[in-house]
Amino acid sequence: MWLPVLGLVIGITLGLLTDMSVPHEYQNYLSIAVLAALDTLIGGIRAQLQNLFNEKIFVSGFFFNIILAASLAFLGVHLGVDLYLAAVFAFGVRLFQNIAVIRRILLTKWDQKRKNEKES
Amino acid sequence: MKKKNKIMFFLITILAGFMLAIQFNTTHQENNITDDTSDLWELRQQYLSEKELETYFHQQIRQSEDKIAQYETERHNRNGQVLQDTLNELKKEAGLKEISGPGIILSITPAYEYITPGQSKVYISPDVLRKLINELNMYGAKAISIADQRIISTTTIRNIQGETKVDGYPLRKFPLEIKIIANDHETVKKLYNQMQISTVPDDFFIDNLKVSISEPQEEIIIPAYSSSVSVNHMQTVKEERK
Repeated sequence: MWLPVLGLVIGITLGLLTDMSVPHEYQNYLSIAVLAALDTLIGGIRAQLQNLFNEKIFVSGFFFNIILAASLAFLGVHLGVDLYLAAVFAFGVRLFQNIAVIRRILLTKWDQKRKNEKES
Repeated sequence: MKKKNKIMFFLITILAGFMLAIQFNTTHQENNITDDTSDLWELRQQYLSEKELETYFHQQIRQSEDKIAQYETERHNRNGQVLQDTLNELKKEAGLKEISGPGIILSITPAYEYITPGQSKVYISPDVLRKLINELNMYGAKAISIADQRIISTTTIRNIQGETKVDGYPLRKFPLEIKIIANDHETVKKLYNQMQISTVPDDFFIDNLKVSISEPQEEIIIPAYSSSVSVNHMQTVKEERK
């Protein structure tokens, strides 16, 4: 469980240290890509907890979601419709659902642990 | 979780964190730009320093201009005379200097005997005036003035709101004197003869105007062109490189 957190911290420090920034025009794409990445990560954690984790699905999902979200935003810009909102909505909803599932799983695990401790 | 899975997960999280950090950087930078927190006194200070810079530059400009003026006077003292002479000649030719010489005077007066009562204004047609000037130039006129208005190459003769105007000067007073100067007496004589047989007086007569042509005179003074000449459609020729 500590590995993803450590990775995230390392990634963030790396990003802050390099002091990179994206041109203003591409900021939308990056934000949506970040959202997609977060969604995939949380999804991965959930799958891991449910013992459904598949590396191929995870990696392909990560990149595919990012690309799809960015291209949706791109299409939206060219059509004059804020299509990236669709991606934001989809990812946001999934993010919340996944987090809820993770919370429940953790809670049941914790409860079981306490029961086991009591019994023993 | 398998070891390979863990590594992959780790890498992906690093990537995600990296993206997050970049996004944070980007938004943070924009905030910095909009967050100008300098207060009035700081702005004042900045303004003052810029102002000092401005005065400094002004001083520099003034010094340079003084120098240019110095050089100008020096050059002028050295070999300016020739240039000045040429300039005067050119000015004379362009009509910016008073000129005198032999010539004739045409005076245009209303033919009152033909003007019916109630006809208020005497009309001088600008077309006929232009025709007259063309003819005079054709027969060797060097300088022309209409009602003491020097005619130069850019002079306009137009009918503006019912009044004929030469370069904006209305032709109201009669007799209207048209002075013509030519280079020498012979040309003046030729001019005089040409005017005698010219059809222009007939054209004026249609407008109830009489034209009297004076005998060739020895000395006629034509004033300089009064306003400044504006050159709109000319450019200096750039020297071609060989």
